[in-house]
Amino acid sequence: MQASTTASAPTKRRKAERTHIWGRSLAARKMRFGLFFATPAFLFFGLFYVYPLFRTFYVSLFSWSLLDEPRFIGMTNYVTLSNDKEFINSIGVSFYYAIGVCVIIWIVSLGLALVFNQNFRFRQAYLSTYYMPAVISLTVWSLVWLFMYNPSFGLFSEFARWLGFRDVRMLDNPATAMPAMILLSIWKGAPVYMLIFLAGLRAIPGDYYEAAKVDGASAWQRLWSITLPLLRPVFLYVVVISIIGAFQAFTPMYLLTNGGPGSATRVLSMFIFQNGFQFLKMGYASAASVIFLLILLVFSLVQFRILRFQQAE
Amino acid sequence: MPRKAFRTLNRILAQLAILAGAIVISVPSLYMLSASFMSSQDFFSTEFHLLPTALYWQNYIDVFVSFNFGNYLKNSLLVTAAVVGMNLLFTPMVGYSLAKFDFPGKTLLLIFVLATIMIPFTAILIPLFLIIRSFGWVNTYPGLIMPFAMSAFGVFLMRQFILAVPDDYIDAGRIDGASELRIYFQIVVPLIQPALITLAIVVFVASWDEFLWMLIVTIGDALRTLPVGLAKFVEQYRTRYELMMAGSVVAAAPVVLVFLAVQRRFLQGMAGLSGLK
Repeated sequence: MQASTTASAPTKRRKAERTHIWGRSLAARKMRFGLFFATPAFLFFGLFYVYPLFRTFYVSLFSWSLLDEPRFIGMTNYVTLSNDKEFINSIGVSFYYAIGVCVIIWIVSLGLALVFNQNFRFRQAYLSTYYMPAVISLTVWSLVWLFMYNPSFGLFSEFARWLGFRDVRMLDNPATAMPAMILLSIWKGAPVYMLIFLAGLRAIPGDYYEAAKVDGASAWQRLWSITLPLLRPVFLYVVVISIIGAFQAFTPMYLLTNGGPGSATRVLSMFIFQNGFQFLKMGYASAASVIFLLILLVFSLVQFRILRFQQAE
Repeated sequence: MPRKAFRTLNRILAQLAILAGAIVISVPSLYMLSASFMSSQDFFSTEFHLLPTALYWQNYIDVFVSFNFGNYLKNSLLVTAAVVGMNLLFTPMVGYSLAKFDFPGKTLLLIFVLATIMIPFTAILIPLFLIIRSFGWVNTYPGLIMPFAMSAFGVFLMRQFILAVPDDYIDAGRIDGASELRIYFQIVVPLIQPALITLAIVVFVASWDEFLWMLIVTIGDALRTLPVGLAKFVEQYRTRYELMMAGSVVAAAPVVLVFLAVQRRFLQGMAGLSGLK
């Protein structure tokens, strides 16, 4: 983002000169080719991402099973949603999951980034090892953790028995199924945010620390007075994208519990998927999507502001 | 010198803590690898096996011969190659137009790209499916590939890199009478090669991992990619963990190999992009 600002100011100045030197024809040629290079993107993002945004709302006004003709029913889907206990529950479950995952991930990933910002032996090898969970796909990890959570021969149960405890049955119990998802998600997600924090830490000029050392600041003082304040924009960015990411989680719930036991892990995206593609209620699932969008719009607006803020820096 | 001794002790403890963390983090991957070589006796015997009693390659043979993993692997490779190829073709062009050109609708395009980054994919799942369906693309390769032909974040990445390309190079090409296309392919593209490699890695990982869309858009076994194939396998054979793990290793191996081959660049790329799809 920073590169954009440093480069854009001189570009603007030079552009004025250039137009002056070569006259209108070059500006026209540039306009033509700019459009030419951009056209695929207009079509692509417009058709596959922006238009569906509006279509979601449109479809949500219909009753439609894909097999019959769509029937206009106005806001009925929204009224039904507001009385649907499953839907209300799924919002709560999504918040539970998102908050559980995010808060712990922020702490863990920042801690890891602080560790990896030091120089120590085999740092690069350790960094790769710590990053490995993020490399392999969530589908694979979901299966591996499904295996590890198995009450009779999963690792957790074996370990508990070895310590003299009973079998661990996290996925069967409505109270512990979600913590099991959260644990898996933190393990898979923390390395990603660690890397973002690490990039942020690396961007802090070393002079600041030198100056603080000269003034006799302790390591803790340097952390509280230099590192954390300067990391604030990165932290805000991580907060927003991790929340948006957590609200979209689907794969672990689908593979480990399929939303259960009961509805303990039926997050919003699971609710939308099931209503849309298992019960074929296109309109109803779309209405849920609209609510989902509205919830995330709040976070997205914050993200937009942060992105702009970083660009303006 | 107690202070110095204290520091040394501290450093050793820190090293040990990092090592312990690395071991804990590696347990699931190592266990996956180990279990993929276990026979079903290893699983169901009363004593616990951390390692297979003997390397049981049969799981891998079963996964490819008795189950359709060879086909899933082929589909995954095909879809990912197509997605990476299209991203390499299109996103640098778009990034170039946003970085170096002024044209009507530029702001609108930026809004499109930003919106795509911020829109949760789940929220547009149904209309996107309806669009793909109206094209007749359900359960076809285009249906699996096209929604990911351009990564919005890839566009951003390219724009950022191309902004750093000096205008003078481009103008020099114009003075020499090169066409705009030639300027793009012979001046701009060679200058952003490192960024293209980063882009390829990031898109490769994202495409290889894509689950939800592939789950929705494939019907039956023929076009399933590895993640969907694995998921459907689990639905049917919930207790065949040794095969599940062998399949998981097959699905994990390509990404891990790429990661091990280009670790530093991989990490650099991810540091810039991570979190944004």
